[in-house]
Amino acid sequence: MRRMNVSFRFPFFCFLSLAILSGSTMAQEIPAAYAPKALTLPHVVLISMGGTIASRGDVRLNVSNYGGKGMRVDPEVWIHDLPDLALYARVTTEDFRQPEDATGGMTFEYFYKVAKRLQELASDKTVDGIVVTHGTNTMAETAYFMDLVVNIHKPVVFVGSQRPWTGLSGDGPLNLLNAVRIAATPEAAEKGVLHAMNQLINPARDVTKTSAYRVETFKSVDVGAIGVADPDVVKFYSEPTRRHTYRSEFNITTLPATLPVVEIVYAYTESPGYLIDALVEHGAKGIVVDGTGAGSPAGDQVDAIKRAQAKGVVVVATARTRGGRVQDTIKRRESGIIPGDNLPPEKARLLLQLALSKSSQPAEITRIFNEY
Amino acid sequence: MNPSPSTKPTPLFLQGVCLCVLFIFSFGFLPAATLPKVVLFTTGGTIQSKGEHRDKLFEYTDGKVTPKELTDDLPELQTIAAIETVEISNVGSGEIGAPQLLKLVKAINAALARPDVTGAVVTHGTSTLEETAYFLHLTVKSTKPVVVVGAMRPFTAISRDGPFNLYNSVRVAITPEAVGKGVMVVLDDTIHSARFVTKGNTYHVDTFVDRDIGPLGFTDSDRVVFYRTPLSRHTSNSEFDVSILETLPMVDIVYGYQEASAAPLEALITAGAKGIILNDGAPSFKKGSLKALSEGIVVVQSDRKGSGRVVLSEHSAGRGVITADSLNAQKARVLLRLALTKTTDAKEIQRIFNTY
Repeated sequence: MRRMNVSFRFPFFCFLSLAILSGSTMAQEIPAAYAPKALTLPHVVLISMGGTIASRGDVRLNVSNYGGKGMRVDPEVWIHDLPDLALYARVTTEDFRQPEDATGGMTFEYFYKVAKRLQELASDKTVDGIVVTHGTNTMAETAYFMDLVVNIHKPVVFVGSQRPWTGLSGDGPLNLLNAVRIAATPEAAEKGVLHAMNQLINPARDVTKTSAYRVETFKSVDVGAIGVADPDVVKFYSEPTRRHTYRSEFNITTLPATLPVVEIVYAYTESPGYLIDALVEHGAKGIVVDGTGAGSPAGDQVDAIKRAQAKGVVVVATARTRGGRVQDTIKRRESGIIPGDNLPPEKARLLLQLALSKSSQPAEITRIFNEY
Repeated sequence: MNPSPSTKPTPLFLQGVCLCVLFIFSFGFLPAATLPKVVLFTTGGTIQSKGEHRDKLFEYTDGKVTPKELTDDLPELQTIAAIETVEISNVGSGEIGAPQLLKLVKAINAALARPDVTGAVVTHGTSTLEETAYFLHLTVKSTKPVVVVGAMRPFTAISRDGPFNLYNSVRVAITPEAVGKGVMVVLDDTIHSARFVTKGNTYHVDTFVDRDIGPLGFTDSDRVVFYRTPLSRHTSNSEFDVSILETLPMVDIVYGYQEASAAPLEALITAGAKGIILNDGAPSFKKGSLKALSEGIVVVQSDRKGSGRVVLSEHSAGRGVITADSLNAQKARVLLRLALTKTTDAKEIQRIFNTY
């Protein structure tokens, strides 16, 4: 892990003028009328978990085939390219990227590494806020995991981009600038882990990626954003009611080294039961069935669920509609299936893994799904 | 196992009482005395209108359904709350204005001050419902839930949405988690904050939306569920007090579009408006708003797009123009009328627009 403090040696104004004079191609001139918001700027730690925002393409028009070996953007390059950051915060960087040749995306190893670091930063009096960059495909999962296991009051903001750092009309620079602004905003504290892209602030619990390539992709389906990072101010209009961060009963410092295995099956016309049987065979302790309509398993899944439950496997239902809650109905209660509220299956999976690390009692797990 | 000698058998009549209570509970019926009390204020609207026949989803007549008819039609309400009705008016939402708003909020404040009242529900026509709801959000002096409800289909229509909307509104009004969340609007199983909600469709039942910022929660069959708490100042935390007011300052709206005429703006100045909301911009507004400002009229810049904030610009601030944040023009008008009951200072009114 590499840590770098980019500004601690210089008085602030000196750094700012140097940074501007260094004249990167991406950084535009900062209008002289803009003054730093405060004399003592907040300290924001910028953690890189990589992502499209940390990737470069061969040419500017390449916005779909980028990154990989030798095509990554190191955290200090962001600082160099974005001297504007220094208007809002003193930013230091930390590198939590997977190795360059890693395949298959994010892992629990990195979930744990970053969660532990966030927990350390929670009690570091020199730190005011934290920004974490992440690839957009699974960043909602990672952010939700942190939301559940890190006991922190300070702002934690997840950010990414849809276009690589080198892309034409890249969304990365403004997203990163806004994420730092939010992390430096006192009102962003105690709202749980946040997600910020395209000027919208969403809670980690509710946000989900809704479009593969468009820059307007992250939405809290049904429940909406809680604030905006507009050019004039960062403003919050509402706050989430569900338990998170400092109100969570789960904590990274007390989690077992590995979490119980939970996997997901998708429901559709004539969906077979053998996928569920196979998961049970492989040692799954929990299964999330992403059900049709109101959250119903289909086809042979119905009987396979009963076989799984007989072996002590906990089954949670989500709804593939990606809008609306799975309700606590009499039929569902009789079948012993726990409603996954309005969580998408990938988030219900994480919550069920954490829940199973504490209890396998359906009543207790139902309570957890109602409260988080 | 034999009962120990010290254990007296339960008297038969007590067993009977227990069974009776169990029976009552199992069917969801509670004795009226223990049910939470909800005061239902009726103002009218589509929810209290009738059409010629059940296929008439438009061209219906307001003012046809009395409060008694409304509650008699929904006996299920009696199982969850003790309903007390107060008729404010029985008109379409276009007829609502300052006199009705002041009468309504005074009646609500009086009711909610009573310790026996748990919450309030208000029926209203949907077209200007968001304006009334936001007015109440700013002037109700209580943390108790206030829910404004309406319907998109008349009382007589096939698949009418009114009854379930009303039932769900009462459910929200008696939900402990709804306390302190300000005034809410409930239609189509969705709980909206009066601050964010707007009518987004002319006829569909899912007409109410909260653009950018979503709803607060939902009235699902299994329970009333909340995901959000609004942060802007409202109700018990609001600085506005209308208890002694009989009228509200004149504030009107001009719409911005290509080649918009300066005539409406000038006419409002002549007519004695105390405040003007610019719903988007037009070249003619520059001269007109300068004239308005020079005559002591407060000018607020709103936007016709229906989503996003009007950002705080030093340029407009220099001219004395106030920005409406994310309020649409009709809600900016509600807030400006109340702000003008306290001050005409542009900086102070900007603070109000930034915090409500």
